[in-house]
Amino acid sequence: MLIPRRPGLSLVVCVAAVACLSGAAGVSQAPAASQAAASAQAALPLTLPNKEDALKFGVMGDFGTGKREQYDLGEQMGRVHSQFPFQLMITVGDNLYGGQRPVDFVKKFEAPYKSLLSAGVKFYASLGNHDSRQQSAYALFNMDGRTYYTFKAPKQDVRFFALESSYLDPTQLQWLERELQNSREDWKIPYFHHPLYSSGDRHGSDLSKRKALEPLFLKYGVSVVFAGHDHVYERVMPQQGITHFVVGSSGQLRKGNIDKGTGFTAYANATEQAFLVAEISGDQLFFNAVSKSGKVIDAGVVERRKSQ
Amino acid sequence: MITARRIAVSLGLAPVLAAVSLLAGDIGQEKPRVNADAALSVEFLKGVQAYVELHKKLEATLPPRPEHATPAEIEAHEQALASLIMRARAGAKRGDLLPQKIRAYLRRQIGVVLRGPDGAVIRRSVMEDNPGKVQLRCNARYPEGLPITTMPAPILAALPKLPEHVEYRFVGDRLVLLDIHSQLVMDYMTDALPL
Repeated sequence: MLIPRRPGLSLVVCVAAVACLSGAAGVSQAPAASQAAASAQAALPLTLPNKEDALKFGVMGDFGTGKREQYDLGEQMGRVHSQFPFQLMITVGDNLYGGQRPVDFVKKFEAPYKSLLSAGVKFYASLGNHDSRQQSAYALFNMDGRTYYTFKAPKQDVRFFALESSYLDPTQLQWLERELQNSREDWKIPYFHHPLYSSGDRHGSDLSKRKALEPLFLKYGVSVVFAGHDHVYERVMPQQGITHFVVGSSGQLRKGNIDKGTGFTAYANATEQAFLVAEISGDQLFFNAVSKSGKVIDAGVVERRKSQ
Repeated sequence: MITARRIAVSLGLAPVLAAVSLLAGDIGQEKPRVNADAALSVEFLKGVQAYVELHKKLEATLPPRPEHATPAEIEAHEQALASLIMRARAGAKRGDLLPQKIRAYLRRQIGVVLRGPDGAVIRRSVMEDNPGKVQLRCNARYPEGLPITTMPAPILAALPKLPEHVEYRFVGDRLVLLDIHSQLVMDYMTDALPL
């Protein structure tokens, strides 16, 4: 079940969440690095329950440009974190565009997300088509030298699967099936670069990858999938029960690049940079997509799909 | 030939053999081709494995890269390794790892996939973000900042399985063997994407 909320629409669940978070915002402990940004502006209108025992995480993609817009969104991430202290951030690839020298890691990653890194947020990267495979050795991406990997979340019954979607060879597909099969966690969350469903006009859905991956996701009870590649934000209507997100506008943006004819868009935005924050508590995943200007452009809750 | 088939299966080439067998229709009639292709796969992988052994030997002479490295450590290691390999393979030329008969075999394998029922979708996936006509040199670095193409699962399933840290990539219509640790183009072939 998905309960959508868009700006301008009222919804009981989300209104209650806003009230809860607004109350908490005044007493939250903002990390030092993002304190200035947080106090400079009013609290963001997040609509997440912000429960203490929940798993809180962020999703961003196609961000490593080193341009002003990336830094602006990075600042918003710091503000969000001061209200909603997410523990980890997953990346859906294109972590660094162009050069991959040490100076690029600083300009396109370490500097824009300094406040999050200082606050102890752990990044777990996946690789896109612009990323050198050598990024897998970079300590702050926590990939342990692997181009695809899995890890258990520090809270709740959640396991993430970072895939290398540009190279779905038999070894990786067999590994994925084995890991999904062995995973006893309630939530199995794959994330990778190329979207199985996307209304982005530039790339769109990757049907070849959908054919390879979707049967595994259906078989092993996946409820939600995160991807990027198209430089837009999109939430796709559940496809055979699975909700797909495209979070490909966290640095790059293709303004207006939405194909309105796909028929599967639940919500899409290609007007400004955005990222996503989510909270898993029991069988529910609450999410807010936050834009560069600090607006919550999309929000709702995904119910966990029970395995067949 | 039986030996070649056994070796091929042990190297994870069973899908290649199965695919070729299925396409053959009459297995008895096409058996020589199946065995010939298996032998070509073995020969190809032998060459790649020899490269990997050289890579490992040279890498062992370098200070080990930390498991969780800084960008400076990653770059230093990559460049040092690339220099050693380039020097050791100074005489390397196109076709060393991909001689004519291997190229013909790989072209056939890719062609079978692209002419199959999902061929159009697979081709689209390969051509998307394909950097096209970029200059490549054997035993030189993959151009910095150049995006990599996607390698669809059916194509990878049809090609011989490469050792860890070696990948196939398309650049334009060229199929590249890429050492992802040193970012070196090990070898490449043209006309890998039949029209």
